[in-house]
Amino acid sequence: MLELLKTVIQNCNGYGEVRYHHRIHTAIEARNSTLTKVEHRTLSGAGVRVLVDGCWGFVSTNDVSETGLKRALFEAETAAKTGAALRKTKVNLAPAAQAQGEFIYYEQSEEPDIATKIQTVLDAEEMIRKSSALVTGSITMYTQYEDEKFIVNSHGASTHILDNKPSFHVIATVARDDQLETGLKSVGVTGSWRDLLKQSDLNTLAKEAVELAIKKLDAGYAKGGQYTVILDPALVGVLAHEAIGHTVEADFVLSGSVVQGKIEQQVASKLVTMVDDGTVNGAVGMVLVDDEGVLGQKTTIIESGILKAYLHSRESASIFQAEPRGNARAFTYLDEPLIRMTNTFVLPGEDNLDDMIEGIKDGFLLKDLGQGGQADSTAEFMFGVAEAYRITNGKLGEMVKGVTISGQAFDVLKSVDAVSADFLMEMGAGHCGKFQLAKVDSGGPYLRCKVTVGGHHD
Amino acid sequence: MTKTNSDLLGGSALNSSELCTDLIEQAVKMGAKDAEVFHIKSRTLEAVFEKNDLQVPKGDNYQGLGIRVHISGAGGVKQGFAATNVLSPDSLHSTLETALAIAKASPSDPYHWIPDPQPVKSVEAIYDSTAREMTLQDVVKEGAQLVDAARGCDSRITLDSARYAVDILEKTIVNSKGIHLKEKSSVFSCIGLGFARDGDDISSFDAEVAVKCHYSEIDPAQTGIRLAEKVISALGAAAVPSFRGSIIITPYAAEELVVDPIFFACNAQNVQSGRSKWANMLGAKVLSPLISITDDPTIPGAVGSTAFDREGVPPKTLAVIEEGVLNHYFYNSYTAQKDDTASNGRASGGDDSIPGISTTNLIVAPGEVSLNDMIASCSKGLLINRFSGNVDHVSGDFSGVVKGGQYIENGKIKHPVKEVMIAGNIYDLLKQVAAVSKEYIETEDAKLPYIQIEGCSVTGR
Repeated sequence: MLELLKTVIQNCNGYGEVRYHHRIHTAIEARNSTLTKVEHRTLSGAGVRVLVDGCWGFVSTNDVSETGLKRALFEAETAAKTGAALRKTKVNLAPAAQAQGEFIYYEQSEEPDIATKIQTVLDAEEMIRKSSALVTGSITMYTQYEDEKFIVNSHGASTHILDNKPSFHVIATVARDDQLETGLKSVGVTGSWRDLLKQSDLNTLAKEAVELAIKKLDAGYAKGGQYTVILDPALVGVLAHEAIGHTVEADFVLSGSVVQGKIEQQVASKLVTMVDDGTVNGAVGMVLVDDEGVLGQKTTIIESGILKAYLHSRESASIFQAEPRGNARAFTYLDEPLIRMTNTFVLPGEDNLDDMIEGIKDGFLLKDLGQGGQADSTAEFMFGVAEAYRITNGKLGEMVKGVTISGQAFDVLKSVDAVSADFLMEMGAGHCGKFQLAKVDSGGPYLRCKVTVGGHHD
Repeated sequence: MTKTNSDLLGGSALNSSELCTDLIEQAVKMGAKDAEVFHIKSRTLEAVFEKNDLQVPKGDNYQGLGIRVHISGAGGVKQGFAATNVLSPDSLHSTLETALAIAKASPSDPYHWIPDPQPVKSVEAIYDSTAREMTLQDVVKEGAQLVDAARGCDSRITLDSARYAVDILEKTIVNSKGIHLKEKSSVFSCIGLGFARDGDDISSFDAEVAVKCHYSEIDPAQTGIRLAEKVISALGAAAVPSFRGSIIITPYAAEELVVDPIFFACNAQNVQSGRSKWANMLGAKVLSPLISITDDPTIPGAVGSTAFDREGVPPKTLAVIEEGVLNHYFYNSYTAQKDDTASNGRASGGDDSIPGISTTNLIVAPGEVSLNDMIASCSKGLLINRFSGNVDHVSGDFSGVVKGGQYIENGKIKHPVKEVMIAGNIYDLLKQVAAVSKEYIETEDAKLPYIQIEGCSVTGR
């Protein structure tokens, strides 16, 4: 395959890049004692991107014969030439470490057959129903992306990648009178089926989801306002990814995001150091080679409160005279590479969680993402919180529900006055969306900070 | 950009109908009791703009299919599904084998069902041949109009991104019960996302979208101008103190706050899995008598219109909610079998998934009050242009930030708001609707008026 792609690229009249991507996407879902979905999808083809006269052209095709690829290349070149007339600022590419050779992220031989996976999904669904008589809804889902890629470009990349990203979701719904509540738990890895099960026992996840939903039945609502809170590693991960991470993606910076022109400025408390690192072994956002054929490297975004770097594609790195470090990603062969995060996290500190709680007079311990999370290029964010516990005079109290947090993420990071030594990165079960999907991970330590809590008014 | 993928079909000149029929025959030979093949052929041309400049012109030709097989099992039917866009004979055969292997590994279910043929009436005007004639150059020019018009309005506007796209979609469905249907449609779409910046004053991010079946119905320049007006009007936002009062949900925010929760509660899959608040409520008053909702798949030229659903069942026009009373759930064949009723043709999805459930063209009936009168009636209130938050469709609890919202006091719009959150329970709030506007806005597959609701908590600072 690599030889075929090289032959195609030889004929390119500018910079050319061919990415053959063969994906098998498996989805299994059980609901309320019924197997509701088993899908096995093959999506295979090549994304051909060229840079001619300072403009991109991109054509995707599922015809990967030599003729088909050459035709796609020709069409991409024609598209680029058409666009070049309109494009005001010409695109240049920064030099980058080009990937060569094999990158195998998992042990293929460890994959069980589809029957085993179906049975595991059904067993975990049964566990939800068995856990409590209050359960009225039980959903378990398995999603797997099995990817094989060959990437060749005219700047020397020539690489073969085997990647596997499975995840598992559990949703329990409980009812009492006319009240319905939901508990959600999930897990994801880069690795084999065995690696996924090692990360978390599915039956435990099922029980936890039910316990959470039942706790919510008895929970009251919080009163909205400004509070000192402790964010758990999951919420710190969401903040790092959604509210901070997107603003430092260089394409958003160029559009005028809030961090434009702020490199080397203080943007967070001195206690905060945040990185994006595609090389974390087994994390869902593991990307050793990106879809421009560039080798993945760790990027320190914020170091002791000082903004150090943006995340780049080769195009944006050329504008900022920075080094591309493996953040140009495409979800399928149909997509062109965009600047994306990989594994984004805040580094741990030295504080102890109990001491952090003790220091709060009137606030909350907030755990895990509830439904949804959004943020703007202004770093203003809003996240649903799955579990919220009152803290009064340094003591952890009862659970409240329906809590959302909002604020300006850099203001929140500036208000950080304690960072725990405990650290977790496990937000990788879902997807990040930015025109295309991407599998990412995020996490961090516990952070004590100030946010606006949205709740109900008396 | 025009090309065919006929060389991918093993060198033969099989068209989609023959390809599907052939697979059905093979499936039956290999032991399937029933089988269904859904085939998609599409062509997309797209121009992507970023940061006020052309980023990339794009083209794609796609062809793929999904095979659903049923085999007999104890007390029911076992189902398998596999999809592929590699249409070589070897790949098709292995996809069929995978579908059968999945069926064998799955438990029996008495409700799996492949529907029988019914009379189907085609929908008018969902294909515009201009789509076939357009080139990438045309698409780039159309998109540039959006960018130039938005930027031309005001130099403070930044278009974060914009897209203009033309899609042609041909779907074919064949099953072993005799359904054999084809439909061709076109979709022209443009979208602009951006914000305004005046010194340190940055407006909230906003989007403007237009999606139509016909080229002549899309005006990229107007879309750009509407986006510009929205983001400029959100400049100079100020915080407001917390209050409990009136909210006016604009059609832009209604998609997420009103349409999605109502669809969730009416989706038979959620009703049957214990996740809908409206289970066992057919014939009951679930919303304010001011709310009536129709789902109409027959509107000529509408993006949500179709002659048949993902399973080949012709959808009927449904008066889902009449003056607050729930009349229908949305069914595909599986959920209909489970409720011992007939599918009402709401099976949805592409070639790569088993049929789900969706609406077609959802219309919330306009009321009799003008938007101006609504605003005039608020002593204290908030016009919600966009909602960025989460709605728990199961419980109905929602909470989130209002984007590009306008604060209303004593019947007058005072100023745009920032850092304002709203929270409540949408199913409860929609029981206390104060007014529905006569003005409405058409979104991709919905027609929505402005909805005024009393007694909502608004958290400021």
